[in-house]
Amino acid sequence: MTRRRLVAVWLAAALAFGAALAVAQGTRGPLDDPDPALQRPGFLDQGDLPAAAPPVTAGVPAAGQRAVVFFERPAMLAELCRALRRQPVARADVVVVVPAAAGGCGVPVVVDAGGALRRAYGLRSPRDGGPGVGYAVVDRGGRIRYRTLDPSVAANLHEVETILDAT
Amino acid sequence: MTGVERSVARWAAVVVVLVEAGLFASYRGHDARFHWFTHFFVGASAALVAMGVVALRTRRPVPLPLLWVLLGHLYAMAPDLAFTGGVAHSRWMDVFLGHIATHFVPGRNLLWYAVFLASLGFYLAVLDHLRPAG
Repeated sequence: MTRRRLVAVWLAAALAFGAALAVAQGTRGPLDDPDPALQRPGFLDQGDLPAAAPPVTAGVPAAGQRAVVFFERPAMLAELCRALRRQPVARADVVVVVPAAAGGCGVPVVVDAGGALRRAYGLRSPRDGGPGVGYAVVDRGGRIRYRTLDPSVAANLHEVETILDAT
Repeated sequence: MTGVERSVARWAAVVVVLVEAGLFASYRGHDARFHWFTHFFVGASAALVAMGVVALRTRRPVPLPLLWVLLGHLYAMAPDLAFTGGVAHSRWMDVFLGHIATHFVPGRNLLWYAVFLASLGFYLAVLDHLRPAG
């Protein structure tokens, strides 16, 4: 290969991967985490975790029982509830936290108008600055072991199960 | 390079591109593609550096270079394949070319993009160095 051709290969790679990276960055959604490294990391005890899990309802989290606390927006609640009916999260208590009243779900729904629960669970704000959509996983010792924004959580319930299995 | 070697190299390139496209698609959801880039850049960079060292030692370019890049990528992303099978990540999985830690470097994927380009530059410089004079 001539030197000119070698330089052309390097430039082509730089342009192709640079463009692909820019497109991937540009297609991030408004509900995604501003720092993509912190979204769906897939491992427990990231950052300041584990941390004591504040009560969401009178019975969740309960001693000796794992819990999944979903954080959802009212407009997307129905989709999450449908997914939870299709694929119930086994072996854990489930509760959904929404920032405004949004109807029933088949699992307890808690309205967190001021965002106190969101802050207590350390859920980050998404790119649009509104309430985060995602979930936190609480272990049997009442500690938050995992939390992430996940605007596609209704389609990613298998990931929730994987994280639960690890706690 | 003989005609047969050239044909094998072409087919290998097609296979690598198809496998990489499949791996990219396997990262469901646009937010997860961030992870594809991280592990591709890291795995490819490790492969390119290894290719450069091997080429310098053997005094000839490595055969099927894109296959090396694919293998580097597959090694770096192996924990993600395990995750798909229901195994959550753990810190020890950093043995896979820093599978966890590489996400948290300053500059995130931009840094790995720069490392990838530097590694590619190294391997191409080795090829240039090995070119017959004249």
